Amino acid sequence: MLSPSPPAWRSEAPRSRWPHAVVLGGLMFGWLMASPLVRAGDASAGADVFKSECAECHTVKEGRNKKGPSLFGIVGRQSGSIADYNYSDALKQAQWTWTQDKLHWYLSQPAKTANPGTKMKYDGLTDAKQLDDLLSYLSSVH
Amino acid sequence: MFSHLIRRATRWARPAHLGWAVAALLMFASSSVQAIPAYARQTGSACADCHAGSYGPQLTPYGMRFKLNGYTDTDGKSFKIPVSGQLTETHTNPATGKSTTDLTEGDLYIAGRLTDQVGGFVKVEADRTGKNTYNTRLSNVDLRFVAKELKLGGKDLTLGVSVNNSPGFQDPIAALPNASFIAPVGVTGSFLSLATPNAPSNRVIGATMYALYDKNWYGEVGTYRSLPTSTQDHLGYNIASDPGTLHDTGYFRFAYMKDMKKQFFSAGVVALTTHRSLPRSGPSDDLTDLGYDLTYQYLGNREHILQLSYVNILEQRHYGAQLFGPGGVAAPDRGDVHDQTLTATYTFHQTYSLSVSRLLSTGTRDDVRYPPFGDPNATTNMVTLFWAPFGKDDSYTTIANLKLAATWFRITRFNGRENNVFGAPPGVRPTNAGDLNAFSLSASLAF
Repeated sequence: MLSPSPPAWRSEAPRSRWPHAVVLGGLMFGWLMASPLVRAGDASAGADVFKSECAECHTVKEGRNKKGPSLFGIVGRQSGSIADYNYSDALKQAQWTWTQDKLHWYLSQPAKTANPGTKMKYDGLTDAKQLDDLLSYLSSVH
Repeated sequence: MFSHLIRRATRWARPAHLGWAVAALLMFASSSVQAIPAYARQTGSACADCHAGSYGPQLTPYGMRFKLNGYTDTDGKSFKIPVSGQLTETHTNPATGKSTTDLTEGDLYIAGRLTDQVGGFVKVEADRTGKNTYNTRLSNVDLRFVAKELKLGGKDLTLGVSVNNSPGFQDPIAALPNASFIAPVGVTGSFLSLATPNAPSNRVIGATMYALYDKNWYGEVGTYRSLPTSTQDHLGYNIASDPGTLHDTGYFRFAYMKDMKKQFFSAGVVALTTHRSLPRSGPSDDLTDLGYDLTYQYLGNREHILQLSYVNILEQRHYGAQLFGPGGVAAPDRGDVHDQTLTATYTFHQTYSLSVSRLLSTGTRDDVRYPPFGDPNATTNMVTLFWAPFGKDDSYTTIANLKLAATWFRITRFNGRENNVFGAPPGVRPTNAGDLNAFSLSASLAF
């Protein structure tokens, strides 16, 4: 049976949703602005960046090291933590956690500037979009 | 050595022998130095990291750095046995003569690092010479000592020493004839070319010092001397192709190379000067090679790779011997030889490659030295299709590889002519340049 008039909650709903939406949006915006943990990169484009910038020395295959260690699951990993890779003393002592933020900082400058004494030979990636794309790709590899 | 075969072919001027000469050329082109699995095991890298096509031979910028670092880069794990092998089966179909299908070559490579500063490349090659007979010889050698990660004026500096047996083989850009294994074929050629009669390739020993400054500037200087004929004989070489004695030999190389990750280009100059006595008891010829090379690579994300290279080498000769031809005609005491090579290679997914080369060998007219027409000019085109399914990060195996190759070898001009290139008299079947053509299919397995 059709109701001749909408129930009371329907008419009240818009009034009650607005504050929720504003609050939720505000929280999301604030979180995104406050935290660099999530970057708006394109993982697909990042795969290409990986191939041209990283793939000669690293793979994303689990357990396979090249000149550099495997980058499988790199985001969130403790630095110098792959057991069968021979890290430099400099990286062993760094005691970093490879958050996206840390990786962004590390990869945006020459590796030997970020971590003097490292074995890694990399001049840094200065293109911000490529770096965001790369970090999105690395985040997807786990 | 195929230059020797070409000279024999020139002398005999018979189609069957010409076919055999070109077959040897094709075999050489298809089984020259390639990606070495021992290096992949040592570094943990895939063959395709150092080579555009995963079987090689064209180097990527990363492969050039591996060579510059003395073949010493490693994944940091335990010592790996620095040994690899290669087997090549070839079907050759010359334009004239009989088709053959044989196990044409077996190779043993001792290749890898000894310490963090010492590494090398040694190839021992067994070439089929007849039914169930093979000739074993010491092929390319490149032993290196390198000092890495030095600083000069705040810039990176790498210094190294290479002991090698082919001038140019050690070059990192690998466009020069002894490194690319692509050179014009003709009755003459520059001393830097492996296709020249009595070429120094693998028959000399030399040492060069090199430096890479600021990642871009490459310089090298060195000297060579020829091996005694008895040593050449012991190492598996026919002394009929002895390069002669060499004096005051200097090798000079300077290049700028720029790696932009997705693209690479280089521009270089090379020079070699020597006084050569051939035969060894004879007078000395002064040879001066001056050349330049340009290369470009589009690498992108490695899905589509384009590589272009152009090499231009001019050799100036001052002959020590005075030669006289029929009728007492005196040969000129000076002459030039000019080699040019243009190669374009497209590689898809580091698996499929198409390579096209145009090779020009030209020289000053000399009726005595270049019979029967006095014109040494030759033009050759080579087209090769490759399929190399393994040796990539996502391959079934990254440390062994297979290559199937189809090669078309077309000579359009020889002894300056397209037809009757050996000047057969009336009544004798002439040999045209096209009679030297050949097609080959080869399968190579590296492990």
